[in-house]
Amino acid sequence: MSRVVKKTPSVCTDMPLNNAEVCAKLHLMKELLRSCYGPTGRLKHIRNNIGGRVTTSSSSSVLLPALSSSQPLLNLIKSSILNHISRFSDCGLFAAIFCLSLLEHVRQHELRENLAIKVNKHCLSLCTSYLQREDCACRVKVNFCSSQNLMTLAGSIISSKPACLLTEAEKHHISTMVVRAFLQTIPCSTPGPVTLGHTVTVTIVGLRVLDSAVFPGLLVEMYDPFDQTDSSSGPLRTVLFSTSLAGDLAELGDGTIEVDPDVDTDLQVLNQLLELGKQLVEDEVRLCVCQKVIHPVLQQYLRSHGVVVLERLGMALMEPLSMLAGTQPVATLHARILSTAYGRVKNLSTKQFGFKTMLHLQPEGEAAVCTMVLCHRNETMLDELKVVCQKAEHGLRLTLKEPSALLGGGCTETHLSAYVKHKLFLLLQGQQEASESAAGLGCSPAEFLLGVKVFCRSLDMVARSLEHDGGTSVIDLNHAHHWTVSAGATKEDMVGGLGLCGCGLVENSPSTKWTFLNTEYAEFCPAPLLGDSCRKPTVLDSFTAKVNALQVAVETANLVLDVRYIIEDVN
Amino acid sequence: MRGAGCGMSEFPDLCKVLELSTVILRSIIRDHHIRQAVMLKSVTANQQQYVGLQELSALARTLQPFIGPQKKYRFIQNVRSGESALTCSCFCAIQNLEPTCALGQLVCETLQEHEKIYHTGSGCLMFLAGAWSSAALLGLCQGISVTQIISIMNEGIEICLDAVRKSALLFNGLDVRLSRRSTAAVHGLELSLSEEAFCVASNLPFNFQAPPAKVYQQAQNIRGQRQIKLSRYFCENKSEMVSEFETCSFAHIAEGLSHSCDNLMKLAVEVMQVQSRSNQDITTVTFDISKVTTCVLFGLPEDCSCAVPGCIVLLSDEQVSVFHHLKTKRLKVALIDGDLSHSYHHMGFKRPAGMQHVRDQPSVSESSTEDKWVKKVVKLFLDLGVNLILLTGVACKPMDQNCCRNQILVVEKLNSSVLRTFAQSTGSALVTYPSQLRDHCVGTGVQLALWRDLSCYDRKLVPVNISTEENTGLVTAILTSSVQCKSQLQQDRFWACAYRLHHALKDRALLPGAGRTEMFCIHLLQKQAQNCREKSTNSVPPSAAGTAVALHTSVMLELMADGLMDYITTVMINSGKMSKVEARTIVTRQLQTFDVHQGNATKFPQLVLGNENEAFVFPSRKQTECAPAVEVYDNLCVKQEAWRRALDLVFLVLQTDEEVVSGLDQKMEKDTMML
Repeated sequence: MSRVVKKTPSVCTDMPLNNAEVCAKLHLMKELLRSCYGPTGRLKHIRNNIGGRVTTSSSSSVLLPALSSSQPLLNLIKSSILNHISRFSDCGLFAAIFCLSLLEHVRQHELRENLAIKVNKHCLSLCTSYLQREDCACRVKVNFCSSQNLMTLAGSIISSKPACLLTEAEKHHISTMVVRAFLQTIPCSTPGPVTLGHTVTVTIVGLRVLDSAVFPGLLVEMYDPFDQTDSSSGPLRTVLFSTSLAGDLAELGDGTIEVDPDVDTDLQVLNQLLELGKQLVEDEVRLCVCQKVIHPVLQQYLRSHGVVVLERLGMALMEPLSMLAGTQPVATLHARILSTAYGRVKNLSTKQFGFKTMLHLQPEGEAAVCTMVLCHRNETMLDELKVVCQKAEHGLRLTLKEPSALLGGGCTETHLSAYVKHKLFLLLQGQQEASESAAGLGCSPAEFLLGVKVFCRSLDMVARSLEHDGGTSVIDLNHAHHWTVSAGATKEDMVGGLGLCGCGLVENSPSTKWTFLNTEYAEFCPAPLLGDSCRKPTVLDSFTAKVNALQVAVETANLVLDVRYIIEDVN
Repeated sequence: MRGAGCGMSEFPDLCKVLELSTVILRSIIRDHHIRQAVMLKSVTANQQQYVGLQELSALARTLQPFIGPQKKYRFIQNVRSGESALTCSCFCAIQNLEPTCALGQLVCETLQEHEKIYHTGSGCLMFLAGAWSSAALLGLCQGISVTQIISIMNEGIEICLDAVRKSALLFNGLDVRLSRRSTAAVHGLELSLSEEAFCVASNLPFNFQAPPAKVYQQAQNIRGQRQIKLSRYFCENKSEMVSEFETCSFAHIAEGLSHSCDNLMKLAVEVMQVQSRSNQDITTVTFDISKVTTCVLFGLPEDCSCAVPGCIVLLSDEQVSVFHHLKTKRLKVALIDGDLSHSYHHMGFKRPAGMQHVRDQPSVSESSTEDKWVKKVVKLFLDLGVNLILLTGVACKPMDQNCCRNQILVVEKLNSSVLRTFAQSTGSALVTYPSQLRDHCVGTGVQLALWRDLSCYDRKLVPVNISTEENTGLVTAILTSSVQCKSQLQQDRFWACAYRLHHALKDRALLPGAGRTEMFCIHLLQKQAQNCREKSTNSVPPSAAGTAVALHTSVMLELMADGLMDYITTVMINSGKMSKVEARTIVTRQLQTFDVHQGNATKFPQLVLGNENEAFVFPSRKQTECAPAVEVYDNLCVKQEAWRRALDLVFLVLQTDEEVVSGLDQKMEKDTMML
């Protein structure tokens, strides 16, 4: 008997951005993410109150999924940033901070929402078109003839996460490894459309970071290393199973079956497995790999016939392995295996890393699969290192699509902000044009100016977020690059001791003029650096990821600004 | 409680013990209280004023009594279950406390990781984590930024680890410094040699900019160089050297590593000697810990502990009769990696959820499927002629009984590494299911023997030795104890000793112990701090930023040195013979006089168990007047790792400013902000 419960009416929030509670939550999230940004960012412990493992990280891909909120607007922002991360890996924090500060600044300056949306769009298109231009001063061409830019790009991404706790030498080692792994996944001699290979990451706790290495081919952990042969060479016929060979009836699904108690289903499945084993031996298979568990009896049978058995491969390694060996994963044990499903592996050898024994599978031809073995002293730091390395590798891959990188260290942000301001100034000088474009947006020039200011402030805010130790951010009035002044520094220090800008491209000279980033400053045209400068940038960001992050941030902010009502079903 | 432990002999401390454990208990209660508040909300708890660092140093302070060779025992009682545990190790204490806060868990994880690999040194790790987190806190109070603290402390630990590497005493079968009977001339020669080798080797990490291949080459060169030098040296003194090692040096190393755990270290050495009986040469001796098992016998006096080749197990009453039947025979053995029961399945096997057994006619046979299975398996055993079954899991009751009836002995819960050793030596193979057994899986040549007749102590104690004809390297350490609650402690300490020995043989190096390495590091840190201070005052041109950095460096390095100083003084205080002031004075005096020698760690006198010439030393009771003092040693890699891990932990906590907690009750939490 069911009881009829009266439904509670839905809750409707009008103008959610005017709600103090919502704003406080947005602010909290902004401060939380802001404090994680950059190489000196702070870490967060992430845990569940009921217990379990504590994760320590400052990476957006770890943090954001852990932030669950009751506020739909926050979840909207979160999911749009997470979507960006899943596609580009990098610049997640940038997008989140920029989006949240746009929202906050719009509210602080009491800008009308629809106006803010239009101005934001205008500024965004200004930025993206500038970034695509040949003469863009904050973009660097990635030269594939030398590894230098690639190394810098990888190094910047790796040093942006302090939880890895790497020394300079270790950073260098890891960035070299990442670049090497990236280069190994590019096939050289394949005609036709090029498919990039895979980099598989294997982690080992307890070894030194400098023990990390890249290997061509695949390294697979062996859970039962005692019964295996040491190495076998010559092409080995390989079969790969994606179905479980554990001898259970896992393929049943949710349905029920009725069985006579005298029927031993286990035995029947086992007989089926042994049938399969017999076929494998007949077909002269030398290596049998399974994604899941293999029944010990089958293992014993195969081993007694000289087949090397690898079980519990895991989902992640399935694709790289079938690529390496050229196999078709076998998904059932009830049909004969076609000879086309078999693949080949050049040779096998075992490698020992600390307590782990790995089986090294090498491809016969060029398969563009490589394994990155990452080592660190403790699990927390290793987890972060793994995230960062994958991020860096993805960042490098994006350069193939668009061989450019952006200046890091906050310089791109300040430069863009100065550029947008300057453009606006030019616009306002030609009064006619300005009022036209303002009218086009449906606002007065003053309002338009305010909107642009909000946009620029928010960009500056991201650059300022890089500083966490009480220092102040300044911008030079020549190239509009970003500099940091440490907390205790005096005026004299600023003249003589600032060294290099955030990206390492501009050197301090006595003639340089500065202004604090959080103050109003007169607009100027950011001068491009002269081509003869022999200095190379030391911090680079992924171009594709950053441009997309910029778009995601502005569009998400616009979407949130556009929200008039929130209707929640509270039943 | 009086019989509970030797450390309890200091009775005035007992009150303190109880007081402390109540503090710990209270924290458990509070944690539990919070635990009950569960709601699916995410919360960010602000950790202002560096609560994390404060908590870390407070936690380390409560665990202070576990530092050093003279440990104090603690009871840890669980109010909910009423269980209590007696412990004297940091790791044990933390595990028993089951921390629920983020920091506690982080500490627990770090200690677990360390303990899993090294089995010793977690006290040192914990203490230094606490001491260095206080150092970081003081640094923050003086306005030094987090980034700076991290880079300076990294510099500090590099100095320390470098010093540790330099102070290491190699004993590649050649280093006479470990044998006390060497002549002075030989002493000097070897000292310079090994130091030279080490200085070059320790430069390696700093040459990192060179391409890897080059570094590798360099490393090889160094090794080659060292070998040549040493081998020349070896030729000159061969006969004399070898004899010295066999007679003295190993016992000497073990004595130095015992850290006041003499009897258990003796046992560990015995175990090692039994294992490598055929192999007396120290250059190749290794200690394979995976082949060592322990067997605890209650009711026997403690001095009955000994090492026995083979694997010793205690048999139950039913098994004894089977044993008597089998003891004279050469047995056939089956090795099963898993349980011996009908319902057992290998890992990864999923039982189908929707399986129903339906019968269309009433069952004819009485026996259940399990009985049938047992009969089938026993028949298989009998057909194969198996008399002994070794299991890593357990056997089900009917199986056990059936086997007993058929004179088959089933031994349960053995280590899988022990099983593998048996597999190797008997030519058998490990299987998961008994149905896998074939003729070639069954091994032969195993014997059972009563190890010792202990019926005078306890009729139920029947220790039986399972061994093979050839030497497998399997050794059982028999730990005897008349007090049951001490057995865990004894086992822990035995394993700590065994692992210390194992690591020493693996490293082929030792560190001068009893505070000597630490004092050397303190000295170097202070010297570096002094240099920085001088640099800051004499810098030309004077730049405020540069001066500040140099000043901060000197402050932080001093603070780090203080942390190490705290460590040695705590060990001295724990020995119960001096106050904090006395301990500090002694250490400071030593550091002041040290500058003149400009030597390395070995030049420092031992602090805690030192020689009698020094005023501050406590003569060990065992020593006679003429015998030279016991030299104390530490493990090289354990110390390096413990220090590094301690600092890593501090860095993680130092850099963390907030905690993201999910599943909190909104109303319960005051200092949190809800997202």
